[in-house]
Amino acid sequence: MRYKILAEKLFNMENLVPTVFLLLSFFAWQFSGLSGTFVLNQVITRFIRDGILVLSLIIPVVAGMGLNFAIIVGAMTMQTALLFVINYQLAGLPGILLVFFLGIILAVISGFAIGHVLNRVKGKEMIVTIIIGFLANSIYQLVFLVGFGTFIPVANEEIILSRGIGVRNAVDLGMYRNTIDKFWLIKLGGIEIPLFMILVVLLFAGIISYLLHTRFGQEVKAVGSSHEKAEIAGINVNALRIKVIIISTVLAALGQLAYLQNIGMFDVYTAHMNTDIISCAALLAGGASIKSANIRHAIVGIFLFHTLFIVSPQAGQNLFHNAALGEYFRSFVAYGTIAFALIISTKYEKK
Amino acid sequence: MDSLFFLFTGAAMTNILDIKNLNKSYNGIPALKNVSLSVRAGEIHGIVGANGSGKTTLMNILFGNPVIRETGGYQGEIYYEGVSLKTKNSTEIIGLGIGMVHQEFALIPDMTIGENIKLGREETNRFTDRLFGKKYSFVDRKKNDLNAESALKKLGVNVDIGVKIINLSTNTRQFVEIAREIARADLKLLLLDEPTAVLSRDDASNLLEDLTELSQGGLGILFVSHRLEEIQQICDRATVLREGEVISQYGRGEVSTTKLARDMIGHTVSKAMAKKRAIEPRPLVSFQQYSVEMPGEEIRGMDLDIFEGEILGLAGLSGHGKSALGYGIMGMYPATGEVVYENMKIDRMDAKANILKGMYVLPDDRQALGILPDHSLAENIIFTGDQIKGLFSMNFGLPFLGFLDKRKVYDHVHQLVDDFEIRCTSVKQKIRELSGGNQQKVCIARALTVNPRLLFVAEPTRGIDISAKEKILKMLIDINRSRHTTIVIASSELDELKRVCDRIAVMVEGRIFKVLQPDSSDVEFALALAGEEGTDYDA
Repeated sequence: MRYKILAEKLFNMENLVPTVFLLLSFFAWQFSGLSGTFVLNQVITRFIRDGILVLSLIIPVVAGMGLNFAIIVGAMTMQTALLFVINYQLAGLPGILLVFFLGIILAVISGFAIGHVLNRVKGKEMIVTIIIGFLANSIYQLVFLVGFGTFIPVANEEIILSRGIGVRNAVDLGMYRNTIDKFWLIKLGGIEIPLFMILVVLLFAGIISYLLHTRFGQEVKAVGSSHEKAEIAGINVNALRIKVIIISTVLAALGQLAYLQNIGMFDVYTAHMNTDIISCAALLAGGASIKSANIRHAIVGIFLFHTLFIVSPQAGQNLFHNAALGEYFRSFVAYGTIAFALIISTKYEKK
Repeated sequence: MDSLFFLFTGAAMTNILDIKNLNKSYNGIPALKNVSLSVRAGEIHGIVGANGSGKTTLMNILFGNPVIRETGGYQGEIYYEGVSLKTKNSTEIIGLGIGMVHQEFALIPDMTIGENIKLGREETNRFTDRLFGKKYSFVDRKKNDLNAESALKKLGVNVDIGVKIINLSTNTRQFVEIAREIARADLKLLLLDEPTAVLSRDDASNLLEDLTELSQGGLGILFVSHRLEEIQQICDRATVLREGEVISQYGRGEVSTTKLARDMIGHTVSKAMAKKRAIEPRPLVSFQQYSVEMPGEEIRGMDLDIFEGEILGLAGLSGHGKSALGYGIMGMYPATGEVVYENMKIDRMDAKANILKGMYVLPDDRQALGILPDHSLAENIIFTGDQIKGLFSMNFGLPFLGFLDKRKVYDHVHQLVDDFEIRCTSVKQKIRELSGGNQQKVCIARALTVNPRLLFVAEPTRGIDISAKEKILKMLIDINRSRHTTIVIASSELDELKRVCDRIAVMVEGRIFKVLQPDSSDVEFALALAGEEGTDYDA
């Protein structure tokens, strides 16, 4: 009996998943033969690249809406803003600022719409956000594959396919590449630490933590715990849920901006794909569930998940002499984490 | 002093709440008919009524509960300080200065006491107030908890403010809920729905003192209760409701328990009454260290023998496990412990196996678990009998593929519809179109079709009007007497159990606390329900 209690304390839901990830990453790293410095550099890059996207998932989870797979919509709104600005060839600071504001405005509008839809399907938010993501993706493709050159006038021939209709697969962001990442770059031996961007990610973490400690945050928690009771307690549940989704979508849009400027290349039709799955998997790897999530889960999760993500192809290469296996292992890790966390939290929910 | 106070304020004598000709019905069944009443500032207005008299409906309407809108709204007018409440939702109603203590707790289970009391009115940091406004200002947790604690202290309760609501007893939850309302500075009208129902005697009298004090401070209180002594003790005026109608209203000084009781009960319904008899203590089924993990209704290591041929009542406050017994048998929630049925040990709590052995359960959640709402009355009656025992299938030697023997079905169903006086347009009518009482009769008819030796019934009369209630109780007695079916009734209506049962087991915290005879005194029952040994009868 005593062992049971001890075991429950050590291997509760919160610690179980991160522990498994820690062990997996450690062994995969051993087999990969990659140097610690390389892995650490890569993980730091991933941290500043994906950090805000992962953080954008936290508030919807606290509000009881599960994992918001519709952050992919936020990513797409920012890409839309970026493409329009590139089309009208606004370079330099005014260009970046315009991308920034246009992206946020589009994210607010789409967040508002998604929130309204989700209020009609209470209890089934996750599956609906996945479908919304698919739908938005096809609309996005329609606009850029067919819309440009037909009903949207082309101002920048460079980004258009040679047939005159549709945007090219890849658009170079050379002028923006790694501009912010190089601020306050500190070198510790072989490890590069982009202090400014790390601070930016931490700033967003701080903002979310702050929001959850306000009256607004208390209401979010109450709605997450029981939306019927929150309604009787005088909280306008529907309005609150819409606000939550707007915040999440805007954060996702900003996250995508950080992501794109870090990569420096913009794959118009694929850059946003899988951002939802990878961000959700990272959050869950940190010990979050679809019922509870906090900043620590996000930050721990990014480090654990991406370590495994980086070392697994090389480990596959060395163990089985087949790099593709490691590549498959990546998708297995991502989807497996989500499936595992879903099963575990449903089990705990019943108790 | 009081009169002087009123002279100066003047407004204190006017009504803060005016209800005029209120009508409300659910699916064509009237719940409230032409109800008019008013509440003044600084007064406690009592509302008395038996179960099903419309008290809770009235409260739901006043508080803008979404249930009312979903079931078609109401007719009539309600004015609060001259403002019509008709189009308002709960959020707006709270904003106007009305507070409500709900019969089913409206506390957020995963939040602490402090967070719950101050929800929506948290103490915030003054600096961030100016920066982002109140709503997005940092919550000062320390100050918040201190403030919440002082509200609880005012009610004379001492608990750790950091405990989550899930871990609290019902008693404490009630005080937290009241503390949440009185911690508001803008509170002008407080609606209380059976606030003392779950409290022990001492706690109840403390609460009544608190309420009197609050009303002297100028607060208007609408106090719903079925404990008449309480109404007499603290109310300035009282209204009696019966079957949705205002029967009488009494002014200051006229309130008395005898008058209230007479008006509340009204015409006499012929009541179901089982004759006393001696039951041979031969256990049909016995539970040993039996536990059921039903959230909020756990049974924790219960020992109980159920005698063959008896009607056993299970009494207990909600949350003490009385409704989990049947669910455990049907395997709805994980159950452990030893169950011996007719000298056979039952290891697996499996619905099908147990029905075949002769046990049947009618759950309390009739809408979700008791009926197939979109199926016909006939299908509902024969469902279990046909699916589990194949009673109505023409058997060609193939499992699952037997055709339904329609003639046999309709003969059987018509017989039961006549016997039980189930009111319906035809046996093909969808069951969700029937009233609650008739639905319950169909459930019992279904149980009889299976012909069980042991029948568990949970809350058989919940949500059913008074005359149908008695019919259902009579049905249960008849079944027991004519078919020798052993029946276990879990109910929160102690009065009904006392009339029908041979023995009544009182459950406290998931165990059988005491088994009482139905003619035991009210005091004994009250003490047993509160989990106290009955030593001081003068209490």
